[in-house]
Amino acid sequence: MKYPPALSRLSFSWYSENAVATVIFAVLALLPAFLSGYVIYIVPQYLLYGVLAMSLALLWGVAGILSFGQAAFFALGAYAMGLAPHWTSSVDPFYLALLVSLLIGAVLAGVVGYFLFSAGVRDVYFVLVTLALSIMTEQITVSQSDITGGYNGMFIPRAQLSFGGVSLDLSADVPMYYTILPIVIGIYVLLRLVVASRFGKVLVGIRENEDRVLSLGFRTSLYKTAAFALSGAVAGLAGALYGTHASFVSPSLAGVLFSTQVVVWVAIGGRESLLGALLGAVGVAALSNYLTAITPEYWQLVVGIVFVIVIMAFRGGVAGALIRLGSRPPMEPERG
Amino acid sequence: MQTALSVLVDSMLITFVFALAALGLAIIFGLMGVINMGHGAMLTLGAYFTWFATTKGVPFVAAVLLAAAGVGLIGLLLEHFIIRHFYDRPFETLLLTWGFFLISTELIKIAFGTDLRTVTNPLPGAAHFGSFVLPAYQSVVALISLALIVGLGVMLYRTGLGIKIRALVQNAEVASLLGLNVARAYKLVFVAGSAAAGLAGALISPMLSVDPYIGNIFLVRSFFVVIVGGIGQVLGGTLVGSFLIGGSETFFALFSGQVVAQTIVFMLAILVLRFRPAGVLRAQ
Amino acid sequence: MKHLQSPANKFSRRAVLRYAAAGSLASLAAPAIVRAAGERPIKVGLISPLTGAWTVYGKAHSAGFLLAVDEINAAGGVLGRKIEVVVADSKTEPRIVVEQANRLVREERVDFLAGTFSSAERNAAGPVVTAAKKVLLYPTFYEGQEQKYYPGVCNPDIFMFGPEPTQQVWPHMEYMMKNFGKKFFMIGSDYVWPRVTNEFTKEKLKELGGSVVGELYIPFNTPQYDSALRQIRESKANIIFHTLTGSDTVNFRKQFVAAGMNKDFTLWTVDDEEVVTSGLGPEVSAGAYVSFDYFMTIKNPNNGPFLERFRAKFGKDALMNTVGVAMYNAAHMAALALTKAGKVSTEALRDGLRDLAFDKAPQGTVTMRGRDNQMVLPSYLMRVRSGWTGVNDMFEEIQHFDSVTPVDARCKKLPL
Repeated sequence: MKYPPALSRLSFSWYSENAVATVIFAVLALLPAFLSGYVIYIVPQYLLYGVLAMSLALLWGVAGILSFGQAAFFALGAYAMGLAPHWTSSVDPFYLALLVSLLIGAVLAGVVGYFLFSAGVRDVYFVLVTLALSIMTEQITVSQSDITGGYNGMFIPRAQLSFGGVSLDLSADVPMYYTILPIVIGIYVLLRLVVASRFGKVLVGIRENEDRVLSLGFRTSLYKTAAFALSGAVAGLAGALYGTHASFVSPSLAGVLFSTQVVVWVAIGGRESLLGALLGAVGVAALSNYLTAITPEYWQLVVGIVFVIVIMAFRGGVAGALIRLGSRPPMEPERG
Repeated sequence: MQTALSVLVDSMLITFVFALAALGLAIIFGLMGVINMGHGAMLTLGAYFTWFATTKGVPFVAAVLLAAAGVGLIGLLLEHFIIRHFYDRPFETLLLTWGFFLISTELIKIAFGTDLRTVTNPLPGAAHFGSFVLPAYQSVVALISLALIVGLGVMLYRTGLGIKIRALVQNAEVASLLGLNVARAYKLVFVAGSAAAGLAGALISPMLSVDPYIGNIFLVRSFFVVIVGGIGQVLGGTLVGSFLIGGSETFFALFSGQVVAQTIVFMLAILVLRFRPAGVLRAQ
Repeated sequence: MKHLQSPANKFSRRAVLRYAAAGSLASLAAPAIVRAAGERPIKVGLISPLTGAWTVYGKAHSAGFLLAVDEINAAGGVLGRKIEVVVADSKTEPRIVVEQANRLVREERVDFLAGTFSSAERNAAGPVVTAAKKVLLYPTFYEGQEQKYYPGVCNPDIFMFGPEPTQQVWPHMEYMMKNFGKKFFMIGSDYVWPRVTNEFTKEKLKELGGSVVGELYIPFNTPQYDSALRQIRESKANIIFHTLTGSDTVNFRKQFVAAGMNKDFTLWTVDDEEVVTSGLGPEVSAGAYVSFDYFMTIKNPNNGPFLERFRAKFGKDALMNTVGVAMYNAAHMAALALTKAGKVSTEALRDGLRDLAFDKAPQGTVTMRGRDNQMVLPSYLMRVRSGWTGVNDMFEEIQHFDSVTPVDARCKKLPL
């Protein structure tokens, strides 16, 4: 199969992204040696937003399927973490919740995805359904207050991990940091491998020209379903970890505002680069945390304007712009 | 029987409000295929313009017309400077119109503040018929909604301009070969859709709390109204879609909680999208 | 278009920003400030909904606290130390409350926290408060404490300065039933506060021989109320007991009045204080009954001077309400508690607040009940005047009780 031209750019950036990612993760790994306090507390949360962003980048940047409902999976993962201790089980609720959150994300996304993709529902219509998915998730979690605590939210105890005889108290910042960071790196590496695999290449083909991939004999609906299921699973897992980190979940975590914020992160960071999406989420969330104290109204306005500029002029977001700087000029403008 | 009748009346009132709210989207999305995620923001702007004008002493009817014109103008600027460059890229127009929502919501907060605003009901009073009640203003809005939809239908099916626009919807290339100025027709449709959204926001404002997110209540519902009714079916589709979305919400709310009713309606809309995708599918 | 904002609005925003800037500057200059322990200010983290859905309440919320801090500092501070406020915006999002509460505790190193608005925001702050061993002063009228929502409630470190249903509703039920009838129709937003408030109301209703002829919960952001209005009409209720919040309260009330139903039913709301009633406007709000622990027009001798000081600082049109007054009381009572203890620590604040009475509250004397951290407050029933022109003639007093003791918190163990 002959791959569309976009792939050559992907392979070009493969090694440079590896190098940048290695440096960033190394810095993150050493961070607690130099800093303490709030930074060490909050960075894991931003990284989990980053994982959520990567779940969207996989779908949108690679396969060309935009979802406005990623927060629904994220919130369901967090609720799984909160409810796990109530399920009678001999298994450690933390691991059980991680497993369940993966499954909920994968199954819900898989079912919805197959249901729609198999009928040829595409593009913008899929966006509307995912938007409705996040609204429904928010409403159901509000109304099922016996289970979820409703609008008032649910407290999630920080986990006490035990593997073998060693136990780890995640209520302290540093153990939490070193639990979440390797998972984030692991998910990043895994998703990079997925993108580089034959499966990932078919997804890129679908993004560039679905009909052509279809005519080559691939059942594109199955590939798209699998991509959405994987994306849902990753978002669910990130949500479960977010739940234990924040110790709290409430229905607005599933809502449209948060869901669409993920789209903004990914667009600004760079939808075609997983690292770009990760850093886009970390960067925008961190800036927003510090700037809202100083200028609550105008910050949101700036984010909106940057978002529009990125969509109009820098399709690849910040990461795309950087990659272009490093590659042979001049690149011909892309078509969407 | 009385109950059935008043359920029916309620459903009709809701249907017309939903149809009015969805009309601008039915024009832009239905005729051009442009996913206007800024539709909610346009409703909100229409409501705020009405509020602002009435507080400055402008009579209500004039305020409504000003609001529609104002939002139409914003639509013109949006189309001219941004959207027209992206007509062949549906994702980009979707995201750019969402960006328009983000920016205009923040500008509304900065310009008009975040206090609860209300537009005084210009037609207080209600007619009572046994056990059911027709609020005067809502009834007038329902009639305007119906008139607008019928008028639009007549325009599309009975006038030269309408025929050109329908030709454009069916095949832009052929239409341009036939000498139709495609760019201008698109601009006209986009501005008409924006003005319709502004008008809807203005007319709805006396019934609701005017706040920066008022339009988003209708955003997803409006999309579903257009999808369920059938894209491009401005006349019948919008009414049927509104009846199915709004009316069935009323109907399900008889037997279950409101939340369940809304959820069921969303699910039904998704089912329609899946199984009756008239206009939803690309040509296979 | 900036001129559209009222002067009060602008002023309060600027004031908030100044406090925030002062806070962050002080934190940058932290080493220089630690000259003498005695001079170091007491830092308080204030979490207010400055943006997002509850912004309308956020102004009075932060204003009440900032006014009290100004008064405390003008009188020489606490134990010779000034109080410094670090303001954080909750964006009306529990998710952001977690982030900001942690920032205030870990980075700003505040001595205690005040604020959060909704129960969801408070519950989000609960785990942070517990982990950091800090006190949170919570101002809003709410559903009362129930072990299920620990650590957001039933938490020895969280103090409730606003009323709960047995204070806000129970005292006025006899009056309402005697004058308007015994059949209640309950309509509320679909979340915990309306549901629990209605449970309490039903309990008392049963005791008094009344009945519930309809109970309806509406999802947030519902635009159309035709079917709800029909159900109310058909129920033949005497009193509509109203716990809708936010924009839904406006949407419902406008359509309720448009259908002419305000003539046939008595409406009693436990949500619509000065800010929301102003938003409703005179046509829509007239004739409704409202109950709270505080209104701007109550006749307590403390209230007049309080409002004078408030308006001098935030402008003559600024609105105060139950939540802002609770924040005001919270700041003063925290200062009294620390002064009494003679030192600044979580234990000193917690122990000092327990059973502390405050006689300068705008509502008169109020007391923090030590057993469950719940404030003992007055309770007022007001009727909205028809044709009111502003907060000064908005509410007409029907009856009031100077001090209403709530039922015990439903916590696993009391005292907390």
